[in-house]
Formats: sequence, C-alpha cells, structure tokens
Amino acid sequence: MARGAYEAGCGFGSGYPGTPSTEILEYLHPYPSVHTQWGTNEKVGLEVGMGAVLAGVRTIVTMKHVGLNVAADPFFSSSYMGVNGGLVVVSADDPGMHSSQNEQDNRWLAKAAKVLCVEPADPDECCWMAREAFELSERFDSPVLFRMTTRVCHQTGVVNLSEPRAVAVKGYTPNIRKYIVLPAHARELRHVVERRLQGASAFANESDRWNPIFPGSPDIGVVTSGVSFGYVREALPEASILKIGFSNPVPLERIGRFALGVKRLVVVEETDPYLEEHIRAAGIPVEGIKHRPYAGELNLTLVEQALRGKPRERVTVSLKDLNLPVRPPTLCPGCGHRPLFKVLRDLKVHVMGDIGCYTLGALKPLNAMETCMDMGASIGMTEGLDRFGGEGVAGNTVAVIGDSTFYHSGITPLLDMVVNGSRATVIILDNGITAMTGSQPHAGTGLNVHGEKAPRVPAADVCRGVGVKRVVEVNAYDMAALERVIREELAADEVSAIVVQAPCVLTFKVTFGPAVALDASICDRCGACIRVGCMALRERDGYPEVNVDLCNGCGVCVQVCTAGALSLAAAKAA
Amino acid sequence: MEEMKITNVLFAGVGGQGILTSGRLVALAALHAGLDVKMSEVHGMAQRGGNVDVHVRLGPVVPSSLIPRGGAHYLVSFEKLEALRYLDYLRADGVVYVNRLEIPPLATSLKKGASYVADIDKVLEEKAPTLVWVDGTELARQLGDPRMVNVILIGALSTRFKELKAEDWEAAIKERFPKPKVTESVLAGFRRGVEYVAA
Repeated sequence: MARGAYEAGCGFGSGYPGTPSTEILEYLHPYPSVHTQWGTNEKVGLEVGMGAVLAGVRTIVTMKHVGLNVAADPFFSSSYMGVNGGLVVVSADDPGMHSSQNEQDNRWLAKAAKVLCVEPADPDECCWMAREAFELSERFDSPVLFRMTTRVCHQTGVVNLSEPRAVAVKGYTPNIRKYIVLPAHARELRHVVERRLQGASAFANESDRWNPIFPGSPDIGVVTSGVSFGYVREALPEASILKIGFSNPVPLERIGRFALGVKRLVVVEETDPYLEEHIRAAGIPVEGIKHRPYAGELNLTLVEQALRGKPRERVTVSLKDLNLPVRPPTLCPGCGHRPLFKVLRDLKVHVMGDIGCYTLGALKPLNAMETCMDMGASIGMTEGLDRFGGEGVAGNTVAVIGDSTFYHSGITPLLDMVVNGSRATVIILDNGITAMTGSQPHAGTGLNVHGEKAPRVPAADVCRGVGVKRVVEVNAYDMAALERVIREELAADEVSAIVVQAPCVLTFKVTFGPAVALDASICDRCGACIRVGCMALRERDGYPEVNVDLCNGCGVCVQVCTAGALSLAAAKAA
Repeated sequence: MEEMKITNVLFAGVGGQGILTSGRLVALAALHAGLDVKMSEVHGMAQRGGNVDVHVRLGPVVPSSLIPRGGAHYLVSFEKLEALRYLDYLRADGVVYVNRLEIPPLATSLKKGASYVADIDKVLEEKAPTLVWVDGTELARQLGDPRMVNVILIGALSTRFKELKAEDWEAAIKERFPKPKVTESVLAGFRRGVEYVAA
C-alpha cells in the first residue's frame, strides 16, 4: 500500500493507528517525497487530508473499519465536494474480529457515501491498485474507498514494483460551488455525484483490469472479491471466475453478461452478502451466503464446502479429547495498568472502560472493567451512569481511558461532564504511547511519526483547559497513593481527572530493578500475588515462582503480599 | 481437479519468540528459489503473550495465504503446548519440529484455571505422525544469544525441505540480516540447527 501510494506520486499520508491498518503509514513515512503524520483521530486525519487534496496533493488517509465511523462526517461530505489532488481513504476491515469490537463491511459505507470502492486480494494488488486508485479518484472527481481486510493487510507476498510517477501539484483554486456544501450548492452537487457514479459504473462494467474474468467450466461461475479470490482458485480451479476489484458501483452489467455464460452463479465474498444482494436485486439468479457462515472469516475449507458440497478430505490427528488451556494475550510484566485495576477491583467501583491494551483489565484475574463500547465512550457513559445509576452506582463509577484514546475522543465528553455539572471521576492511563497498535506516538508523546522531537501536550493540561478543576497526577506503581486519590476524587462533588502515570514498559523498555525475591519460610500461600495476573509469577505447590527472565521488578506483587514474603531485596541491597 | 502443488509450513508459538522472523526467512528463501510465496501473520495482540501462528505457503503459484487444517507439510513450534494446539494442521505424512520449552499460560496458575498438559512429551509423540525434538532454547543459550532459537529451528527444518537448497537459506539470511557480523552469527545458529538434527 505504502509503495503503491509512493509510486502514484502521493504527497501526503495521514490517519490514526488501528489494527490491521497501522503499518501503512509506518512504511510510508520513510519516503522523503511523502509528508506523513498521525492524526489525532480519523476525522481530523481525513479533514487535514481534504485540505491537502484541495491544494492539489495526492493524499492517502488510513484507518481501521471502525475508524471510518469516526471519520464518517467528512467522508460523506467529501463525496459531494470531490477532489483536486486524488484522495484514497483506506478502510481495513476485520472479518472474524481478531482485534476489533465488531464485524463491519465498509463497502456499504462507500455505497452510502456514493464514492468509488476498490478491493485488493493480495500484496501485489495492494500496490498497483493503490497506484491506480489515485488516477480513478481524479478521473471521476471522487474519494476512493480502499477496502482491505485482515488477511490482505497482514499478508506477505511477491510485489511487482514500478517507477514512481512524477505528478505535478495542481495548486489551490477557490471554488465555492464545489467546496462549500451548503444546501443550495449541495443540491447541485447531488446531481454531479449521480453523474459521477454513472460514469464510474460504465468504467467498471468494461474494465478487464479491475474486474477480470478467468475463463473456466460453464457449469459454475463464481463472482468473488478480495482475499476470497485465492480460496476460490484453490477450491475449484476449473470454475469460471469473475473477480471484482472495483466494487462500488457494482458492475452489474458485467456480472449479468458473465451469468449468461454459466449454468450456476455463486458469490464468494467475506463479511456481508454485499455483491450478492446487489446481484439479486438486479434480478440475476444467484447463490451465496446460504453456502457459508454469515459471520467470521472465510478459508479454503469453507469455500470448498461452498463450491464442492464438501471440503476435500484431509487426514489429520484429532485433538478433541484434549482440553488445552487457552493462551489469551495479557498485560505485560511490569505494566502500569495492572496496579490500577487491582486497586479498582478492591475498591469495588464500577468501571466504564475504553479501547486499548487496558481493555485486557476486563479479563481474569483482574476482572476490573464492566463496559467497552467505542473510542472515548468511557467518559460519556460514566457521566450518564453516574447521574442515573442510583445508590451504589452514583458516586461509585469511574471512567478508565488510555492517553491516546483520550486525545482521540475523550476531550469533548470530558468538556460535556464539566458543563453539565457532572461529579464523576475520569482516570487517564498515561503511558506515553499508543501501545496496543504497536507503539505509535500521540499528542502526549512529544515525538512525530519519524521519531523526531515534536510538541507535547500533557493530558493534565488538556483536562484543566476544558475546565476540570480537580486534576491529580499519580504514579501508577504507588498503590497506596492510587487508592487514596481515587477515594478522595470519588467523594468530591465535581468532575475529577486522575492522570495515572506509567511509561509503557514494552515501548520504552522499562526495567525497575532486579527480579522479585521470595522468602518461602514466611509465605502463607494466600495467592494474592498470583491474582494480580502477571506472567512473571506462576503458582507451584501454592507458592509463587518468579520467572527472573520476565520479571522487571515493578514491585506490584510485593505491595499486595501481606505476609511480607516477596521483596525487592536485591534492589534494596544495591 | 487435484489440489495445487503448494508446500505449507506453519509456525506456532508465544508472542515475542521471533516467530514472524522465521516466516520471513522461509518466504525470502522461496523468493530466492524462484517460487511464488504467500505468508499470513497475526499482529496486534501478538506482543502480549498470546499464542501466535504464521502460515507460509510456497510453490509455482500460490493463490491464498492460509493453510487449511490437515494441510501443513511442516509444523514448527517454539513451545510444546502450542505444538499440540496446532497439531491438527499437520497432514498425516507431515513432520512437526518442537522446541523443548514449556511456557505455562497464565490461566494454569489461577485457582480454577486449567493445568498444563500432563506428560506432554508423551502426548505429542503419540499424536504426531513424525516428531523431531529440537533443543533450540538450550542450543541458543550455548551460542550466547537466546534469540537464536528461531534460526536454529529453521536450520533443523531445512534438512528435510527439498524445495529449498542451502544457498536459498543462506541468501535469505543475508538479506534479512545484512550486517556482516550479524549474518555470521545467524548463519552459525542456522548451521547448529542443521547439525543438531543430523547428529
């Protein structure tokens, strides 16, 4: 993707980290010809992108599928405005929900916004389709939604490279009838949009490159798109295939002509039956979703089932009789989120959670989170629940939000708390980085995408700036102070913000000191240390066993040990 | 029509063990051999101690990137429990390479949680069609760099891997680790893996 954008003469890359889209900007920023920056959120990223587009610069804006919900407002309006320099908006969808809260097929958003949509199947297509998507954008005066999925994004393969194109920057010319979407203009632009879709439809219906046909047996014709194409080729090599790389507008005339040449028409596509519903609505007899699960990813076996009636037989061992322990991801040893969740659980407060590494605090054994909806929701939900929850809930509910998520979507709800007279408490986990997506800098990091020094805006300053009077900063590893501060702020009769500070141990390679030591002679085997859920501690015969390779001496288990059997003895001696 | 001629290698282990690098080395070696290759990997949660798998497929033409259950010619696991978890990806004539290492999941320490599989060596040996033990963690320690486990395992794998020749593996290592000093130590790790299974 990054290479394709570079080859197209793209001059600006913007976006917000989100699995599985994050790596695009990480591989784009080393190209000196492309100015690359992380947006504070996807909406801002796209708006900055539109400014560059108006300046005539080819622009790519990247995000995960739910990020496009955040950017939906500018996305829908940019459709009416069209472009000057080409605009490619990447949506990385996540069928199977490997690292997402829902399974959302953003081809529907391309259709709803009336913009062009393209879908690559593998890395080579990512490169050439990205390159050509900028041409499409300028030719049809439309943003192009580049719809990827997890198995396309996180795939390695052979890519054919081209020389980068020299593209002149067109420069900015004001054009209020195009760029001010007030009702009088928008009513005219609505017709422009319709004519654009008709033009794009005619192109898609005739394009052998974007929508190629692979001739085969007339007994079965398969319409497929994205990663599913590879499964179809392997599952039924003899099938006739129409591969849809250009999926909005759906090339229905081309599909209709293809259908006439085959006895049976089957659609194989991942996530929603998007192509299938269009084909059916056009009156073309078609089968599809009835042959596959409605949820989750496809794979070769499922596509064999769909196209051959049953999967090819593959003899293997059975693991049915084995009840293997699961290995879910956990907070890292020494992570600063762990002591906070231990304190919150002990205080028995209701925790409205948010999206990041700290969502892992919801899992065993910490069990310290009750909700997780969308970026920034912890704060608004806390305001509402605190106001209406009644006894035991009002005054006993906190929002827990990471720093990157706070900058992304937490500032406006915090302002909302202040102006609406909420008394609730917001806890911001300040680890200095966007950790879950692989350590991207944010407004509080003080670094840009290249890792160079950049302006830093501390979360505590932002809280004060939106009118929070009670702003407390506390060290995550001082559990007694954490408990005292949370109690005080819950009791306060106005909005409080607690900034819990602990640099990400993984990103910043934090080591506190030598590993924790156990004095087994005074250990009462209560298990409290095990229940903080650290990979560096495992239980053996009731006693904790310290993995000295993993332990970085954060001392959280030492603080929960009532018998005094665990100690940072080596550190003290030093 | 028959299934396409594709060789499938599945790597399994725990986040942070260098599993992605192993996949990359096989993919680069395949490129050097003039083969098509596709690899699928898991990101995001991978660094947080969860189980990780990397699929590598190589052949004259490789349309898709995921190995079906029962489709892997080789399974290379960096940890015993993960070898067992992914064993049903192996074909009936497949070979599994298992690094002699146990990393108990956090769940096995919690009171009502599950336990690590008892007699896991025996269970693996009974279930696997062909099993090759590799003392990767110990050999890497002897070489003075615990991160060498992945190239030691790749070296072990290379001995049965007819599709790729020694020069392909060396070219892949040189491309992935271009600094001469690093190239040398990685090649030494690779050769240690080759010697280990030959012995």
